[in-house]
Amino acid sequence: MNCETVQRDLPLFLYGELSLEEEQALQDHVEACAACRRALEGERLLHAALEARALEPSPELLAACRRRLSLSLQAAERPAGRMARTAAWLGIRAGWRALLARTAAAAALVALGFFGARWSRGPSGLPAAEGPAESQAARIRFLEPDPAGRVRIALEEVRRQVITGRPEEDRIQRLLLAASREAADPGLRVESLELLRGGAGQPAVRRALLEALEHDPNPGVRLKALEALRPFAAQAEVRQALARVLLADANPGLRVQAIDLLTQQGGREAFIGVLQELLNREENSYVRLRCRRALEELNASVGTF
Amino acid sequence: MTPQPEPAPAAEAAAGVSLEEAALIRAARNGDQDAFERLVRLYDRSVLGLALNLLRSPEDAQEVYQETFLRVYKNLHLFREESNFHTWLYRIVSNVSVDYLRKRKLRREAAAETAEGERDRLEGVPEPRALGDPQRALLNRELAARLEGALDSLTPRERLVFELRHYQGLRLRAIGEMLGASEEAAKTCLFRATRKMRAALRDFI
Repeated sequence: MNCETVQRDLPLFLYGELSLEEEQALQDHVEACAACRRALEGERLLHAALEARALEPSPELLAACRRRLSLSLQAAERPAGRMARTAAWLGIRAGWRALLARTAAAAALVALGFFGARWSRGPSGLPAAEGPAESQAARIRFLEPDPAGRVRIALEEVRRQVITGRPEEDRIQRLLLAASREAADPGLRVESLELLRGGAGQPAVRRALLEALEHDPNPGVRLKALEALRPFAAQAEVRQALARVLLADANPGLRVQAIDLLTQQGGREAFIGVLQELLNREENSYVRLRCRRALEELNASVGTF
Repeated sequence: MTPQPEPAPAAEAAAGVSLEEAALIRAARNGDQDAFERLVRLYDRSVLGLALNLLRSPEDAQEVYQETFLRVYKNLHLFREESNFHTWLYRIVSNVSVDYLRKRKLRREAAAETAEGERDRLEGVPEPRALGDPQRALLNRELAARLEGALDSLTPRERLVFELRHYQGLRLRAIGEMLGASEEAAKTCLFRATRKMRAALRDFI
């Protein structure tokens, strides 16, 4: 391997795209060649700079994308699928297809929350009732022609229910509380907490915020809960939760926010021990720095334990 | 930190949920919108991440996300079940992103010609991910601007190959497959991209 080949292949080496033999040859060359060692170091610096510019989509952006897509899908024409092909095979005209869908939709059991779909089995007959066709999707489970020239079609369907109201209304708040705990999508949990913020004075809402702050697996959701609890940072249950976040949360950003909140309020001396404990075990240099500053401002010891 | 040659999170997800994925694809093909949205959620975070890192703008990333999944929805009946859905999806988001990059480049050139000037590339770009990340402290504004300039100077195809290899952690063979090209072609693209970046950052590295 010469210098030109080695320097060309450095990115492949760092990405693990070389064969074992090529990798060994490159390493042997780099050990013996100062210019290629410098080039490898430069390549590593380039990678470090590239890593630092990486962006992660925020839960809010992801939620906005999903919401917009969902609306577009409702407006979009359905893709040509088996449903359409089966209907064509049956010789059912477009108007009849719509009628079948409508009647089945109306007869189906509806068991849908706005944050998660539930499947329900429709009847095997076709009751004569009206219902919205656009908001439901149906799947044919079986077809059974009868001697009279008619056909029985069993549909499995799902229907989306839209509920509108103000966040402070009881039923809306109950759904938001459920979504803040149960929605699989962290973006929805963030949005639920944001909408619940105005009601954070109520015990049920505050309990949900505290639960999200301490137990939600997503740091964006935990951060949103912490922001919503900010006006209540003087309350004992919130301060105790913040102290636990300080010592237990895996996210350094949240630990820093917890330090800020705990030290901005009266009675902060009660948390000197927690801050000292944090300083003792904290591995992140920035959090350590903030913790040390907070202790210094409180005239507390930072190095005797 | 050097990215490890591990599969992208989306690819890992695909391995773990292939049965669920197949069922969702079948249901979505039959017009089940909820199944489609659940299918979207298996992959949309990485699709949005790819678009955001390529376009460096949340608004543009949202456009690419929307266009990608609407194309998937409309063309799902063309997807062959024996194929890899992840590869098929990434081929679509790659095409949409490259088109978007090309259009944006043309718009910028037109704006420069009309003396409107180019806005600060860092303006409006969200903050990099980790709060208190020590690497970020090392990256001063000038280096960041030079890096953005270097990435901007890549052709859309070079930019995409680099993005897929560096940030999405995909193997060159998989990238070639997605782009309908050979592994060698993807490698050549990557070489050109890294050569341009090294040249632009010569004073720093």
